[in-house]
Amino acid sequence: MHTEARTAHLAHHFPDLKSQEHAARLGMWLFLSTEILLFTVLFTAYAVYRYLFPAAFDEASRLAHVAMGATNTVVLITSSLTVALAIHYARRGESRKTVALLAVTIACGAIFMVLKGFEYHHHFVEGQLPGRYYTYAGVSVPGVPMYFTVYFLMTGLHGLHVLIGMGVLAWVALRAARGEFSPAYSTPVELGGLYWHLVDLIWIFLFPLLYLV
Amino acid sequence: MAANAHSEGKHLGPAQYVMVWAALMVLTGVTLAVWKTNMSFELRVVAALGIATVKAALVALFFMHLWEHGGATRLVLAASMMFVVLLIGLTLADNMTRFPYANPPYSVTQEGIPFVDQAPPAGLPPPPKGTPRPPPPH
Repeated sequence: MHTEARTAHLAHHFPDLKSQEHAARLGMWLFLSTEILLFTVLFTAYAVYRYLFPAAFDEASRLAHVAMGATNTVVLITSSLTVALAIHYARRGESRKTVALLAVTIACGAIFMVLKGFEYHHHFVEGQLPGRYYTYAGVSVPGVPMYFTVYFLMTGLHGLHVLIGMGVLAWVALRAARGEFSPAYSTPVELGGLYWHLVDLIWIFLFPLLYLV
Repeated sequence: MAANAHSEGKHLGPAQYVMVWAALMVLTGVTLAVWKTNMSFELRVVAALGIATVKAALVALFFMHLWEHGGATRLVLAASMMFVVLLIGLTLADNMTRFPYANPPYSVTQEGIPFVDQAPPAGLPPPPKGTPRPPPPH
């Protein structure tokens, strides 16, 4: 059965499944490094404007909902745990547990996006928006709209990644439900999981920077 | 099969993953707790970023399997971290060392510099004496 799985998933240019898995993992990490640099550009923008307008960032970050941000941190870290466990069970060929854990992960992603939606709604209603759309009267330190430019760009791009990650994991869960993964071959679960962990990793930095600092 | 059994043995088990998760939860709590203390602002920023870095390291090493795999994948992450430091560090250094008016108006670099008495950049006429500083933009 394992030899079947090997031949079914092994591309002809790899000598064996192990070297194929190594290449796939390295390729995924290279992709993740481009993702890290994509977010780094926004972190740089944050650092520059945080340096130029410290008072504004201090005032504006008080407008962010810390409780919701903290809840979302807990939700994402928990979803990272369930993905790690899903990979563990996929490697052992326990497909049902893999599917269940991936479903929990996707549900966590959905909870995250719903909470984020409430936060966005609040900011829109209050006029806490970037640039000339900033109409909130409560804080009028120069540079506050810049905080919201950075806030919406960073959380927006991150939210997009959460949605893409949910899609990827749904696809992986579908394949796991079809019984495509075995102890010999579970690379897609691992690579999908890596993507999801990166989304968690970015949020680990976004939360203190945007909600606390 | 023997190779599989070998790699299976190297992987962490559910118990270890739950421990990493618990550590991440505790660190999230510590971040919030430190934030509510009345230590100096700089100290709290350093603490928040330091804890975030530790959390990120836990996720990368254990959830993302860098601990057990290593090799080229670690090199990729290390290289991207180097570029992160270069990009943020050099850009910040640029803004910190600029002629104040090369930074956006009302930014911290222009604090304490009277708006009207400051010599304008070469080639621009000086503003008339007593020109009021325009209201801060929203």
